Amino acid sequence: MKQLFKVTGALLRTLMRNRQALFWTFFFPVLLMVVFGFLGNSNFKMHLLVAGGGSQAERKVVQAFEKIPYFHVQTKGKSAAIHLVKIGQADGVLVLPTNAATPPWKAELIYNSSNVQTAQQTVSAVETAAAQINLAFTGRPAALVVQAKAASGSRSSTFLDFLLPGILALMAMQNSLFGVAGSLTRWKEKGVLRRFLATPLRPLQFLGGVVLYQLVFGLLTSAVIVAIAMVFLHANVSLPVIPLLLVVVIGMAAFLSLGFVIAGVSRTEEATLPIINVISFPMMFLSGVFFPVTTLPHFLRTIVQYLPLTYLVDGIRGMMSGQYAPWSAQVGGDMLALLIWFVVLATISARTWRWE
Amino acid sequence: MWAGGITLPHSEVLRIMGVRKRYGQVQAVDGIDLTIDPGGIFGLLGPNGAGKTTTLEMIEGLRKPDAGQIRYGEWDLLHHQKVARERFGVQLQTSAFFELLRVDETIDLFASFYARTLPRDQLIDRFGLQEKRSAYVQNLSGGQRQRLAVAVALVNDPEVVFLDEPTAGLDPQARRNVWDSVRQLRGEGRTVVLTTHYMDEAEALCDRLAVMDHGHILDEGSPQELIQRHRPGAMIELDPSVPIADDLQLPSLQRVQRDALATALMTERLDETLAGLVMWAREHDVPLTGLRTRSATLEDVFLHLTGRSLRD
Repeated sequence: MKQLFKVTGALLRTLMRNRQALFWTFFFPVLLMVVFGFLGNSNFKMHLLVAGGGSQAERKVVQAFEKIPYFHVQTKGKSAAIHLVKIGQADGVLVLPTNAATPPWKAELIYNSSNVQTAQQTVSAVETAAAQINLAFTGRPAALVVQAKAASGSRSSTFLDFLLPGILALMAMQNSLFGVAGSLTRWKEKGVLRRFLATPLRPLQFLGGVVLYQLVFGLLTSAVIVAIAMVFLHANVSLPVIPLLLVVVIGMAAFLSLGFVIAGVSRTEEATLPIINVISFPMMFLSGVFFPVTTLPHFLRTIVQYLPLTYLVDGIRGMMSGQYAPWSAQVGGDMLALLIWFVVLATISARTWRWE
Repeated sequence: MWAGGITLPHSEVLRIMGVRKRYGQVQAVDGIDLTIDPGGIFGLLGPNGAGKTTTLEMIEGLRKPDAGQIRYGEWDLLHHQKVARERFGVQLQTSAFFELLRVDETIDLFASFYARTLPRDQLIDRFGLQEKRSAYVQNLSGGQRQRLAVAVALVNDPEVVFLDEPTAGLDPQARRNVWDSVRQLRGEGRTVVLTTHYMDEAEALCDRLAVMDHGHILDEGSPQELIQRHRPGAMIELDPSVPIADDLQLPSLQRVQRDALATALMTERLDETLAGLVMWAREHDVPLTGLRTRSATLEDVFLHLTGRSLRD
């Protein structure tokens, strides 16, 4: 055991000196979170045009809509406004009669119908706003007054909150695959492994040292990423530490085994990197890191749901979003699936592993 | 004799008996027998691909022979690999270490695997690595790397030290430093087993030699014995332009051998052949351009044993 720790310690030391590797380890996850975090958090405003030819009605309606914060209101000539709506530069145009001086004004809402969802939002937002405005104009007491009140402790669940668990799972996969398969084939190629084998250090002690190093490295980097996301990017996630650690460690064990399988069949580092990419790229984009698996076509979903990264993403996201209770059956199911992957891959790697 | 206050290692006889190793279609080692006595420098001499490294790695326990036995004193090494790992020191042909580990840390790491070790600072001083003790392995020169590799091979105070091509790729000065270190190992009572494809190295360094080619041991003995056995006498070399016939009759001349650089007359008695050659040249009015004489070397032995030059 002492020798195993010595190997782990030496590797951690070399890692701390490898500034470049450290930089890239953190660079992409942070970049992804920052970029997608901003995209997801941008304030949505409805772009409404009003075409009333400078009439009294136009002024009054614009004033009224400007008081409602989620509208971005602009006046425009009728044909120009309709054109902007058609090409998607505005969500809708409210066409007012140009001759009527006093209410009631009969307005026509022309909206972009290419996207059903935004079209519905536009229509209902304008109708709701119109109802409020009517109330204000007539001064008649309302029959039903709804006062909105935010639920205490409710979360906005931004895209960053969705992305962070995916990033953690992705890092667990990438670090394990590149760390084990990349380093081991390089050491095999350069003769580092054989030099260790010529000492009383046993092969399993050496490999154990490598695995322990990967686990320590993986957990430390995950902790740093979570800290950056929560402190600087204001991610809002639950952190049931023990079950999260457990699911991440089991997931890493599965991917480390996969790394050993690759390192076993590949002879050179040049051959290893493409193999890793072929395996990890589809999972990176299909397993729900960046968007939910449910958005995939049905035939893909039936395959993707069994991939190890899918289970890892699901387990981590389930707990961090608060959707799954930490020791719930769903989390247990993900852990069990990852354990099965680990056992299968570890068994294969034991058969394919070669010291040279 | 004492070395650094530490009792001398007691090495044992190494016996390699009928050892074979095959990689796919290639019979790398084809049934070799060797006896390596304790306390000397034993060299395996041969071209690349002769099977030297494979032989060494089977003794070190890094490869399992297909057949045969390897014994170290009383121990059957194929069944007691721990003995080999504890008591042998190994420098591999491509001894790579972790690139971002420091020199002193590298020695410490390897020392932590052994029960018995030599002090780190003593090794660093001995191999002239004082100034590089805090340098990362990736920043060492070729010669410094090689010295670190030998230092690490000594970290367990080994009885037998295996050096695989210890001077490959080094400049002449660095080679001589390595030679001195190797002689010092012998002086401490260790057995040194090394491979080389440099003739001068084998001749200068080794007490005993085995000439290897195509997985076979062609012959074995001290450098002088090998020369006496296969190329006694000497050689007269002439410029290739000198018209020497293959069937030239001269006293004690054994054979005429040609290559692009010289025509060589092999002789048992240099004085008789040389005198005859001078007379023949005067009679036929042939200028003896480029005339020089030399005694036979291991290079000639190798040429004789394998029919080809080591540099091929």
